[in-house]
Amino acid sequence: MIETKNLTKKFGSLTVFEGLNVKVKKGEVLVIIGPSGSGKSTFLRCLNHLEVPNGGEVFIEGEKIDAKNKKHMRNTIEKVGMVFQSFNLFHHMTVMQNVIEAPITVKHENREEVLKRAKIIIEKVGLSEKVDDYPSKLSGGQKQRVAIARSLAMRPDIMLFDEPTSSLDPELVGEVLGVMKNLAKEGMTMVVVTHEMGFARDVADRVIFMDGGKIVEEGSPKEFFTNPKEQRTKEFLNKIL
Amino acid sequence: MLGGTRMDINVIKNAFPVLLEGSLMTIELTVLSVVFGTVIGIVTALLKLSKNKFMAGIGGFYTWIFRGTPMLLQLFVIYYGLPSVGVNLSPFQGALIGLSLNSGAYMAEIIRGGILSVDKGQFEACKSLGFTFFDTMKRVVLPQTFKIIIPSVGNEFITMLKDTSLVSVIAMEEVMRSAQILYASTFRPLEIFFITACLYLLMTTIFTTVFSYYEKKLSVY
Repeated sequence: MIETKNLTKKFGSLTVFEGLNVKVKKGEVLVIIGPSGSGKSTFLRCLNHLEVPNGGEVFIEGEKIDAKNKKHMRNTIEKVGMVFQSFNLFHHMTVMQNVIEAPITVKHENREEVLKRAKIIIEKVGLSEKVDDYPSKLSGGQKQRVAIARSLAMRPDIMLFDEPTSSLDPELVGEVLGVMKNLAKEGMTMVVVTHEMGFARDVADRVIFMDGGKIVEEGSPKEFFTNPKEQRTKEFLNKIL
Repeated sequence: MLGGTRMDINVIKNAFPVLLEGSLMTIELTVLSVVFGTVIGIVTALLKLSKNKFMAGIGGFYTWIFRGTPMLLQLFVIYYGLPSVGVNLSPFQGALIGLSLNSGAYMAEIIRGGILSVDKGQFEACKSLGFTFFDTMKRVVLPQTFKIIIPSVGNEFITMLKDTSLVSVIAMEEVMRSAQILYASTFRPLEIFFITACLYLLMTTIFTTVFSYYEKKLSVY
C-alpha cells in the first residue's frame, strides 16, 4: 500500500533521516514510536508530501508521488487521509460543513449524497448531536473525532495519524483511540505516530521504534513490548512504561 | 453686516440639499474604490506571497509606488498628467482610478497580513484533503482572512471616505468640492463647513456601526 525507497529528509545542514525503506501492507496498522526529534513525525509527513523529501521516493498503491506532475500528485495524495495533532478543523465551518467540504470541492460529488454519507460517518464517530456546532464549541476529543470524520469522508485507502492524542486532556484520549481502534478493526491501513503505548500494544500489527532518524527496532507488538532486542529500545521502554 | 459671527439658518437651509447630493457621491466613490481596491488587493497580496520572484516583484513595486507617494500627487498625475500621453479621463474616471489604485495598495497589505495570520495548519489540512491552491484560498483561507481583517478594512474604509475629499482638486464634485463652491458664492464659511463636517461625521458613524455589526456577526465562530 505504502512504500518508501531510500527516503531522505534534511533541514538545511541537519539530516533528519536518510535511506529509510519502509513498507506498509494493505489493512496493516503500523505504529511508530520514539523520542521527540527522532524524525517520526517528519517521516509520516513525507508520506503525503506535507514535507518534501530531499531524496528517495514514496509510493502510494504503486503510484510514485511525483511533485512535477501536480494533478497526478493531488490524485495520489487524495487516497491518503491525515489526522493532525492540532486538529486543523476549518474554524469558519460547522461540523457538518467541515465533513462535506472536501468531497464536494475536490471530488465534485453530489451534495445530497455527500450529506447522507457524512451523517453516517459523523454518527460513527459519535457526534450526531454536534453537527451544527462550530469547532470553537467542541472539546479537544470532539474536535479530533470531527477531524477523523472529515478525512474519512474522502474515502481514503490509508489513514495517517500524527500524534492524534498528544494535545488532548487525558480523559479525552480514550474516545479518540476508540474511534481509531474501530477503524483498524474495519481493515483500514493506518500509520500512527503516537506516545500511546497501550494503543500500540493492543491495535498495532507492527511497531517501529525510531531514534535519531534511524529505525532502531521493528517487530510485532508482542515481540516488541515483551522482548525488545536493542539496548536503546529497552532504555526507551523503561522510561515510559 | 448681517451674520458676523452668528450662523445664518437660511444659508444652512439652502446649502443642505447641494451638500447632501455631494455626500451621496462621496459614499459612491468610497464604496466603489474600496470594492475595486479589495479585488486589486487580493491579487496583489497573492502576488507578493508567491514564491515566484518576478510576480512578487510586480506586487512589491505597485505597493511601493502607491503607498510611497501622496494620494494628492497620484490624482494630479492621473487627471492632469495622463492627457499628455493621450489618455483623457473624466473627473469621475480619474477620481475612481486614483482612489482605487491607492486603496488597492493598502488593502493588499491588509489582506497579505490577514492571510499570514491564518494558521498554517489550515493550509496543511487542505493539502492533505487534495485541495488545489485556488480552492484552498477560496473555501478556507480567504473566508477566515476576512474575519481577521474586518477591523483594518473598517479603518481603511473610514480613511478612504475622508480621502475622497482630495478629488475636489481634480474638479470632481463630491461633498468637499460642493462645500468649497458654496463657500465661494456665499462667503459663509462657518455654516457651510459646519454642515459638511456634520455630514462627514454622519457618514463615518454609519459605516463604523455597519462594520461593528459585521465584526460581531462573524465572531460567532
